Amino acid sequence: MAVATLDEAVVEELVAICGEEHVLTGKSALFNRARVPAPFPTHRWEEYIPQVVVLPTAAEQIAEVVKLANRRRIPVVPRAGGTGLTDGAVPLRHGIMVDVKLMNRILEIDHEDRTVTVQPGINMLKLNEELRKHGYIYPDNPASYPCSLVGGRIGTSGWSLIGGRYGHTRDLVISFEIVLPTGERIRVGDGGGSKVRKSSSGYQLKHLFMGHQGTLGIVTEATLELVPRPEAEFSAFFAYPDYASAWHSTGALARSGLATLAGVVLFDEWKVAYLRRDDEAYIPQAPDVRSVVATAMYGTVDEVRPAAKRLLKIGLETGGTYLGDEISQGDWASRHDRYATPLHGRTRNGQVVPMSWHCEDASIPYSQLPAVREKWHSIAASLCERFDMFDDWGMFAYTNGAFKPWGDYLTEIDIGIWEMQWDDESWAAWVEAKRDIAAVSLEHGGSISACHGSCREGEVDLVPLELGGGFEVMKTIKRALDPLNVMNPGKYLLDQAYEEGEE
Amino acid sequence: MSEETRPGQAPNGAPSEEFLDEWRNAAYNCYSSGHKFCREVCPVMQVTRDEAHTPTAFHANVVAMEKGHLGIEDVARDYVHCTMCGACELRCPNTLFTGDFYRFRQRTVDLVKAVRTLAVENEIHQPNWKRWNDLTDRMKSEPVLNGTSVSQEHVADWAEGLDLTIGGETVLFCDCEAAFYRTSVPRAVAQILKKAGVEFGLMREQWCCGGPAAEMGYAEQARRFAEHNVADWRAVGAKRILVLDPHDYISFTEDYPGYFGDDYDFEIILVVEFVADLIRDGRLSLSVPIKRVATYHDACRLNKRKGIHKEPREILRAIPGLEFKDVDHVTQWSYCSGAGAGLGIERPDLTAEISRRRVERAKALEIDTLVSACPWSERPLTDQGKDQDIEIYDLMELVAEAAGFEV
Repeated sequence: MAVATLDEAVVEELVAICGEEHVLTGKSALFNRARVPAPFPTHRWEEYIPQVVVLPTAAEQIAEVVKLANRRRIPVVPRAGGTGLTDGAVPLRHGIMVDVKLMNRILEIDHEDRTVTVQPGINMLKLNEELRKHGYIYPDNPASYPCSLVGGRIGTSGWSLIGGRYGHTRDLVISFEIVLPTGERIRVGDGGGSKVRKSSSGYQLKHLFMGHQGTLGIVTEATLELVPRPEAEFSAFFAYPDYASAWHSTGALARSGLATLAGVVLFDEWKVAYLRRDDEAYIPQAPDVRSVVATAMYGTVDEVRPAAKRLLKIGLETGGTYLGDEISQGDWASRHDRYATPLHGRTRNGQVVPMSWHCEDASIPYSQLPAVREKWHSIAASLCERFDMFDDWGMFAYTNGAFKPWGDYLTEIDIGIWEMQWDDESWAAWVEAKRDIAAVSLEHGGSISACHGSCREGEVDLVPLELGGGFEVMKTIKRALDPLNVMNPGKYLLDQAYEEGEE
Repeated sequence: MSEETRPGQAPNGAPSEEFLDEWRNAAYNCYSSGHKFCREVCPVMQVTRDEAHTPTAFHANVVAMEKGHLGIEDVARDYVHCTMCGACELRCPNTLFTGDFYRFRQRTVDLVKAVRTLAVENEIHQPNWKRWNDLTDRMKSEPVLNGTSVSQEHVADWAEGLDLTIGGETVLFCDCEAAFYRTSVPRAVAQILKKAGVEFGLMREQWCCGGPAAEMGYAEQARRFAEHNVADWRAVGAKRILVLDPHDYISFTEDYPGYFGDDYDFEIILVVEFVADLIRDGRLSLSVPIKRVATYHDACRLNKRKGIHKEPREILRAIPGLEFKDVDHVTQWSYCSGAGAGLGIERPDLTAEISRRRVERAKALEIDTLVSACPWSERPLTDQGKDQDIEIYDLMELVAEAAGFEV
């Protein structure tokens, strides 16, 4: 395993590679790159800081830094936006952090073959500000749309709120260049051509090099899909008297076959109660509204207009009440901002305290949603009972498939955490609860994570169970590509690959 | 005051309990979100792309200081990287979605000011800021002329030949940059006011408003300057103050009331709003066509800090002959000249780059003129405009021209 030793000579070599102003060793530079928005053990902050940060401006520099790390056996941790909800960008073994934010240029817009090629540090909102001038959109639309960066989207294999219509990150990234853990640069995509969407040539390496949480390399350039900017957006919110009818209606809407349908989102009773209690933007509803379903469609006016009528018909026929244009349009428009509303946490006696937002994101088959929901809320209740620093903020379930919004759902339970209160005992209980939540997902035929990644404490213990023989293959690949375990070590139990190798 | 009890400083160099009491919850409210929606809208961050220069870091540092991980000496330099434009506060989900519900707003600008003050109290100085404030303290105006003396003797030289009086119920306050450098702005304003029949005078002895000192952490000096100016206003019987610079407007409407409480009973009038009224009421007619194609640069302290964006556009639309290509004020949350809050004094390279990008955005609109309403923005924008063949005007310069004056 790579061990963290760093001396002046290493810093000098990094300066020679990246330039003096792009090598940072100040304490604040290190501490401010230790965490991501996921719950963080504030009381053990110093365990997660890198020893040096580099801000490269070119792929060659990244390759040289990685080669240096191999020569010196120093861990390398890639970081793009640092907005992920698992620990991909958090250093677990200190080392050199490669922060790609300065590499944020658009390299090419290809109007003929409909691609845009970018550096990994660009943000999707900023990219779309440029693309809209040409009538295009890059529709990778996570809750973190205003702040996450393309490199991190690839590293986590991100999920898009409108993926049911346009696909998720893996569908929207056509090819990319990556620096391997040993410092070689390769391009992966479907087959060889950087602008080919489908190929059967060789192994399908694109998927392998997405969602690895930085354990298999650092992306330096990506070629992305260009989509015609939709002429029309239609969103509709429906209310239901109970969860069961909302769940049935969700299934019917998702199976409608309407090609413009970008997603269906199911809010459970806990979520509606939480919004009613603590969301300023929540528009008061009758007390018998206990569950809500949100839908959104995109396309040309000619497509969306008739499809919207059909969608409304299905919603009403399956027991929904249309909540009106104000909620439907306003709430959907504010979807990015509303995913991050701390302050809404309450202690048991109703006191408002600043809480972090934690969200589980399992993939769960539609048929299993009601059962999973009961079990997850019961795990959350037990946590809240024992520690007056957690708060159950309810659940969402989003249609999860790309281009076809039926089947399984990104299933989210949101738990507020008053992070000022962390101590070792509450942290241990939290980790245990995460493990229990993950176990329920697997019992019901799901996957631990639809979009964040499943390498945090607690849940990660169950990854070998989820993947079975696949986890053995993961270890074999990791050891083959990263023989010295320098690339983001400590993630996904992959250190095991090296323990076995030494036996 | 003894070393141990200096405000803002605990004996071990960590922030005092007083500082933490004020900022702990605000810091956690940002830290808890951690979502960084502020990042891409921040004009400094757009250039440096350094995570330690983000509002997220500015708040997280308070948490880290309380936990004993970082000290003020570790973070002071990071806080230079802010123009106090206020974009981050507007873009913050805390402000957007919990603000009214809990009567809470993320106050990043105030936090940056507080940490800069904490640094100065701990004798951690940024060299150029120290020099700037020392010179200001000595000369009573900011040293905006790079070595050429700015002094009380010359503070009203801009008004030469305009036959302005001293004192009266309405006083025109002219900020340092406009008084000594961009003198065409106050000349334009004075002539517009006279033509509209507004009675006003100048101060007997006008010192810097103190806002820049407050922004750079020199709180005691800022307060002294404020006390002088208010005393001067009282001495000449002023009841209302006309303000032509957005930075002064912030000082007089936010800092001064904080210093003086209920005793502070002056009416503060922003010239841009006042002139919009004059035009709307027909008291000022603009009849000289201005053959230009222009866009408007939303001054950050008007647009983002004060929500003033309609009046400048109203004025531009009233100017005959002018082709006005507007960019909406929300899009402009992420625009800035980079001149604010002392950034240009400590990091002129960043100010230049932020201005270059702003002019570049204007250039893409196929215009020849970029109009601002903030004299501080106009110098760096003009520097960059020269390279990109864009002329920078102050809104009042344009109004004066349209009203038939030479400025």
